[in-house]
Amino acid sequence: MLHLRPENLLVQKTLTEAWNANEAGSPLTLDRVISDFDYTTLHVSNSPDIKSTLFLSIKTKAWQSISQCGNGFLEHLESKYAEFPGITACQPEQGFDYTLSVDLGQIQPAAIIQLSLLKIHAMSFAFQLAFDEFGQLSQQAQDPASFSGSDSSGTVRMLQYRDDENIFIKPSNDRITVIFETFFQDETDKVFGKVFLQEFVDARKRNRSIQSAPQVLFSHEPPLEAAPFTSSRKLDKDRRFITFVLFPRHFQTPELQFSSVCHLTLFRNYFHYHIKCSKAFMHSRMRYRVDTFIKVLNRAKVDEEDEGEQQTRRTITGRKLVY
Amino acid sequence: MEDWRRIDIDAFDPDSGRLTKEDLKPPYPVAVGQAEIDSKISQLRSAATSGDFSTALTLVTSDPPYSADQAIKERYFAAVLSVLTQVRQAEISTLVKQLSSSQTDVLIKYLYKGMSCPEGQKQGGTLLSWFEKVTQHLGVAPVVRYLSDRNTV
Amino acid sequence: MSQSLRPYLTAVRYSLQAALNLTNFSSQVVERHNRPEVEVTNTSAELLLQPMHISRNEHEQVLIEPSVNSVRVSIKVKQADEIEQILVHKFTRFLEQRAESFYVLRRVPIEGFSISFLITNKHTETMKTEKLVDFIIEFMEEVDKEISEMKLFLNARARFVAEAYLGEFVY
Repeated sequence: MLHLRPENLLVQKTLTEAWNANEAGSPLTLDRVISDFDYTTLHVSNSPDIKSTLFLSIKTKAWQSISQCGNGFLEHLESKYAEFPGITACQPEQGFDYTLSVDLGQIQPAAIIQLSLLKIHAMSFAFQLAFDEFGQLSQQAQDPASFSGSDSSGTVRMLQYRDDENIFIKPSNDRITVIFETFFQDETDKVFGKVFLQEFVDARKRNRSIQSAPQVLFSHEPPLEAAPFTSSRKLDKDRRFITFVLFPRHFQTPELQFSSVCHLTLFRNYFHYHIKCSKAFMHSRMRYRVDTFIKVLNRAKVDEEDEGEQQTRRTITGRKLVY
Repeated sequence: MEDWRRIDIDAFDPDSGRLTKEDLKPPYPVAVGQAEIDSKISQLRSAATSGDFSTALTLVTSDPPYSADQAIKERYFAAVLSVLTQVRQAEISTLVKQLSSSQTDVLIKYLYKGMSCPEGQKQGGTLLSWFEKVTQHLGVAPVVRYLSDRNTV
Repeated sequence: MSQSLRPYLTAVRYSLQAALNLTNFSSQVVERHNRPEVEVTNTSAELLLQPMHISRNEHEQVLIEPSVNSVRVSIKVKQADEIEQILVHKFTRFLEQRAESFYVLRRVPIEGFSISFLITNKHTETMKTEKLVDFIIEFMEEVDKEISEMKLFLNARARFVAEAYLGEFVY
């Protein structure tokens, strides 16, 4: 498994089960808490009265910072589900940020996929704002009357998606810059992470077939775009900044926008996942190597005295002699 | 005193019979001082610059300054190391074959000493090829004699 | 085998052969103790022999400390950069945690070295000395190979992963 899927498989599975059961006429009683990356929790539960109504609630670390990015966050989320009948936003459940009520009698399988993408949809709001602002900025740049200088740039939006790690999104008139601030707790992860991140930077230069991918930069110092947000905090030297430069070709259509957002939001999870995979692989390799070393060492052992003499004692007719 | 059970009382007892490194050092007749070493070093240098490594090596391996103190040994060793590293790889084998068994023993001491100090470790490759030639010529014997010899260079 | 690795391993082999002449030797200090004298601090000097230091360069060294009934062999594995350092550390730790199946492996390396072995007269009585030497030599060869292979693997994987990720952005 090379790529992480953007949808939450557990949500998808749970909803599909519930839907199938409802179709069969015996709705399930559900109360499941499902986790996702980056301190995200989802809760699937029945309505107390009507069993065919499910509530899907989400609680995520990034919620507060997303809603601070701009107006119309809830409308954005509602618009994502507007085309699917049976899904309506309702009063957030106690302890969660957002709740959708789902009428199992009305929804279609396509809607289930969209529901399992709830976290991505929430995160995509900040990106959506950046895409919109990019549109305005590039309009301005093309219109010489209002074009005031070369450095027209938009607002930086910050997503605090983990305790100490943030995403900064900054549109300007010809590109959108996405900066990941990350840090490694584990010494080994730090070194491995460095190798991986360096490869991200070099991959585009080396491989011609991915020339059109976003440019990736990697630095220890906060890039200028993110500097105003990070300067107030104590900067420790384990911090790393990874910058993706998205060009218009990466977000021309809504489909491209969606796919770019999916991959970007999963970036951290993706490479941490692969760091863990390499460690696991190395462990199995070392295990194998230890076995071969033990074999070599066992060769050194003096063999037990052969007891062959007793075993080969046979009668004249060739039968074994048993004592 | 907190951990009195772990005090090594034998160290304080003159009659414990414990030997130190100095006790084991065999008496060595030739006392070497500053002046002798200086003349020896200059002899070594001149032999090495004139390319006469055979003489230089004989000088190195006969009559080493066993009885000298540590500082003098270090100074002398630096000169020896520079001689050993100046010799060309191809010549090592012939030079080693000229040495007598007791001279090889001294050479081995210098090789091990060289590899244990940072200056010699930089020249590890050269010292190792000396070592290889010695063992090709005489086998494991010089190494065994090195192990048990209490005289150090 | 590279040019300078062969003399290095030969030197280690000869030194080990010379050092692995061990005998059973009861402690002179404590009644009914029989301990590896090389590990005992404050031991009497006549029980220890001249230590042998074999180095290929500053980063690759072997220290052999012989004594009457035990030999301690410490190996410093080449660590060219941060990654190799981590890999060597992980690998030696992995081995040390399995020390009981290695008999001769010391659980903690002596200071300044990556890994240490302690061979006592008990080991030379139950094992063939030449094969023990072979083991140490093979270990030294394999460790270097293993570390560089792991490093290559890590780089290759990182490259593959990065290209696969960025490849998703190519439309």
